[in-house]
Amino acid sequence: MNSSNSDREAPPGKLFVVEGIDGSGKSTQIDLLHKWLVSQGYLVVFTEWNSSPIVRRTTRRGKRRRLLTPLSFSLIHACDFANRVNDQILPALRAGAVVLADRYVYTAYARDGARGMSSRWLRRLYSFAPEPTMAFYFDVPLDEAIRRIEAGRDAVKYYEAGMDLELSDNPFESFRIFQGMIKDQYDSMVDDFGLYRIDATESLVLQQRKMRQVVEPLLSGVTKADDGELAAALSEFDLSGRYMPELFGR
Amino acid sequence: MNERKLKFYGEPPLRADEGRFPGRLIVFEGPDGSGRSTHIRLTKEWLEDHGYGVADTGLTRSELAGRGIERAKTGHNLDPLTLNLFYATDFADRLERTIIPALRAGLIVLADRYMYSLIARASVRGVSPEWMQDVYGFAAIPDRVIYLDVDVDHLLSRILATAGGFDYWESGQDFLRGQDQHTTYVDYQNEMIAEFRSLAAIHDFVMIDANGPISATFSAILEVIRDEVRQMADEDLDPPV
Repeated sequence: MNSSNSDREAPPGKLFVVEGIDGSGKSTQIDLLHKWLVSQGYLVVFTEWNSSPIVRRTTRRGKRRRLLTPLSFSLIHACDFANRVNDQILPALRAGAVVLADRYVYTAYARDGARGMSSRWLRRLYSFAPEPTMAFYFDVPLDEAIRRIEAGRDAVKYYEAGMDLELSDNPFESFRIFQGMIKDQYDSMVDDFGLYRIDATESLVLQQRKMRQVVEPLLSGVTKADDGELAAALSEFDLSGRYMPELFGR
Repeated sequence: MNERKLKFYGEPPLRADEGRFPGRLIVFEGPDGSGRSTHIRLTKEWLEDHGYGVADTGLTRSELAGRGIERAKTGHNLDPLTLNLFYATDFADRLERTIIPALRAGLIVLADRYMYSLIARASVRGVSPEWMQDVYGFAAIPDRVIYLDVDVDHLLSRILATAGGFDYWESGQDFLRGQDQHTTYVDYQNEMIAEFRSLAAIHDFVMIDANGPISATFSAILEVIRDEVRQMADEDLDPPV
C-alpha cells in the first residue's frame, strides 16, 4: 500500500464506479446519473479510464506502434490511473465532491487478468486506489454486447480486440473471444468485491432508477454546490436568472 | 551448451523465463556523478576488445515511455506515484524487448541503473519500498550489481565541475523545500546513499570505492567483469546435455 494514501482518514466525498464489458451500456448510465446529480445541486467530478493528460500520449504511442506487452499494458494503465487518483479523484473526495468513474481498477483486473497477468500482482499494484463507495457492474450477455458494438462500428482496434493474444486472425472473432474472457473475469469478481450487479438487458429507465435508489441514501455529508446567495439576489430583484446557465433547466 | 536460466524477483513476465540465457546482466548503480556512464563506456570497450557482444541500456531509453517521461518531467508537477509507474513502464519495455532478448542471444547487457535507483528515489519521496519491490517482481535478477560508492563531498565537486550545477530532480527539489540548492542537494544525496546502502545488503551489491582516480575504480570493476567472463567461457566448454 502506498503509505501517502493509506494512513489518511476516509475523505468526506463519495466515489461511484461503473464497470462492465464494452457494449454493456455503463457509460450511458453514468452519464444519466451525472446529469441527475448535478440537477440535484451536487458537486460532481467525472473521470474516465485512460485519460490522464500526462500519460495518455504514451499509451497511444504503445498502441499505435503495437509495443505493448501484457506487462507494459498493465503498467502504463496503472500509471494513468495513479495520475488521475492524485490529480482528480483524491482532491475531489477530500473536497467532499461526488466522483463518478467510468471504469476503475476492476477494468484493469479483468483485462489484464484476461491477458494472463497474475491477480495477486494486479491487486498489489493497484493497492493505492481509494475504495469506491459503490461499484456497479453492468451485466450483459456476450452476444448482446457484441451485437451492440458491431451495429455501431465497422472496425475494432488491435488491443481492444485482444489481437495481441493471437486468439484469431479475424479482429471481430478475436474481439468476441477476448470480451468473453473479460466477462468471465468480471463474473468472478462480483462477489469478491461486492460489485452491485445491474441487469443491462433491462430498459434504460429501469436501470437508471435502480442506480439512483442505491446512490441516493449514500450521499449524506456530501457537498452541494451553494447557490443560496444567488437565489436570494434573484428573488430580491425579482429576476428569473435565465442567463445563469447553472440554474437553468433545474 | 549451457542451460542457464534467468531468475526473477517474483513472477516473471509471460513467457520471459522460457529458453536458455547464455548472456549476462551486469548493472551499474550509484549516485549521479559517481562515474557510472564513464565506467560503462570503458567496460563496453574492454569487453568488445575481448570478443564479447555488448548491449547497453539505461533509464528512460525505452521506445515506449522514454519520451513520455522526459515530457512529464519538464512540463508538469508530477506526483511521485505517477512518475514511479512511468519509470516502471519504461523498465518493463526495456526488460522485455531489449534486455531479455539480448541475454537469450548471449550478449552481456550493461545496465546504467536498475530498479534499485527507482526504489531508492521512490522511498525518499514517501512511497513504500515494499510496494515498489512487489511491483518490480517482474524484474530479472542481475548476475552482478556493481555499486559505485562515493561520498557526497566528492559528488559535489564532480557535479559542479562537470554538470555545471545542481539538477532539479537529483537534488530533490520536487519535494524538499525552503533551503538553498546546495543544502537540498547534500540532504537528498545523503538520503539516497542511505537507501542504496540498505538495498546493497538485501541485493548483494558489489561495493566499489569510486572516490579515487578513474583507473583505480576501473581496475576494481574489471576484476568483477573478468570473473563473470571466465564463468561464461567455462559454460561454453561444458558438453551439450
